Amino acid sequence: MTMDRHDTIGAMLDEYALGQLSQDERRNVETHIRECDVCATDLRHLTVVMEGIAHSVDPVTPPPALKQRVLASLALQPQEPRRAAVESNVVTMPVTGVKIRRGVHPGWLAAAAVVILGLGVALYSSDATRRLLIDDVQEAQAAAVDLQRRIDLYAEQADLAVSILTAGDMQPIAMSGKEDATASTARAYWSRTRGLLIVADDLPVPPPGRVYQVWVIGGGTPFSAGLLGDQGAGRGMLIAPPPNGVAPGTITVAVTDEPPGGLPAPSGMIRLAGSI
Amino acid sequence: MDAAGELYDRHAGRVLALARRILRDEGDAEDIVQEVFSQAWRTATRYEAGRGSVAGWLLMIARTRAIDRLRARHSRPDTTGDVLLETMPGNTQAPSDQAIANEQYALIRQGLVALPVEQRTALELAYFEGLSQSEIAERLAAPLGTIKTRIRTALTTLRRSLRP
Repeated sequence: MTMDRHDTIGAMLDEYALGQLSQDERRNVETHIRECDVCATDLRHLTVVMEGIAHSVDPVTPPPALKQRVLASLALQPQEPRRAAVESNVVTMPVTGVKIRRGVHPGWLAAAAVVILGLGVALYSSDATRRLLIDDVQEAQAAAVDLQRRIDLYAEQADLAVSILTAGDMQPIAMSGKEDATASTARAYWSRTRGLLIVADDLPVPPPGRVYQVWVIGGGTPFSAGLLGDQGAGRGMLIAPPPNGVAPGTITVAVTDEPPGGLPAPSGMIRLAGSI
Repeated sequence: MDAAGELYDRHAGRVLALARRILRDEGDAEDIVQEVFSQAWRTATRYEAGRGSVAGWLLMIARTRAIDRLRARHSRPDTTGDVLLETMPGNTQAPSDQAIANEQYALIRQGLVALPVEQRTALELAYFEGLSQSEIAERLAAPLGTIKTRIRTALTTLRRSLRP
């Protein structure tokens, strides 16, 4: 997560809460809030505000006939088997951006049970079987949403990587290992307009409680590009948009070890570096 | 009285009031009430108590459906769609305790009344009529940037009025 993205998404939360964003914009917001506690908290407060606005309208007394009409329609709706209803939920689960709503509201289940029993329709073979089925479906839904989130993330990263590698201003940077990483090899590709792609191999395992952070240094000032993702087998990779404020001229890309989550400025030992 | 009826009795008054406020038509508003309770019925297993109050959930459904109907009435493109139904963020928990929720709602209500009229108008057009910020700017004959600022300021004020 970059501060640019955080700021951009943060500025969209009001419109998100009001339902004013396009589908793509909503997807971006939903992806971000899963990773950003600050924005998730802001959105939680906005949700309360939205509910509060709805509650600002004084309640009215509905006409008696409306209750009969509503309850009659409810009584008719559960006639399809419950299993089909659950499967329907699977189909209609949005492919992006929605956390699984686990748990069952007891009031509604009780209400459903009352009406169903009132109709004399035996929809469930047993309550225990139904709960197991719901649990299984919810687990599958959670897995599907998580998979979709990963696919979205990879697709986004792949798009950015292609845009960096094909950018007119892309410059490859040869990087060399330092300190205990002299056996490491790394390639970086820098585009001032598109961002940075860096792939490092044979990296040593970072010291306990440390992670590798990537820096773009321009005009002597380092800017964090993000954390080097662990691809396994000593490989690290980062694909990131260009940090804001990098001065023109000589560019140095460096990798240091930092505390989990990274720091705003480097403090650890340089493991990889290269300049253009 | 059965549980469904009890739930209806507890929340239908607010759902109908919100639908009336948005649609300003009794017949349409009553249709929305039926749709809301039907939707809630069908998706009851997807509701998570920790995510927010039942009232909040029902009112969000009501708002979305009412605005959809309003947009259809005016042949405006539907931008809300099922957004609020399907993307109420799963990790945004409103107060689970109803008493706390009611207290927060009361604070929002007081905050709304205290907003400068131009901020409140812009926010209400967004919330109750589902207008985009561009549409609000056009309706109020004000620059888009001004409208954005009014809504942002209003929401910031209301958020600050919440108890931590």
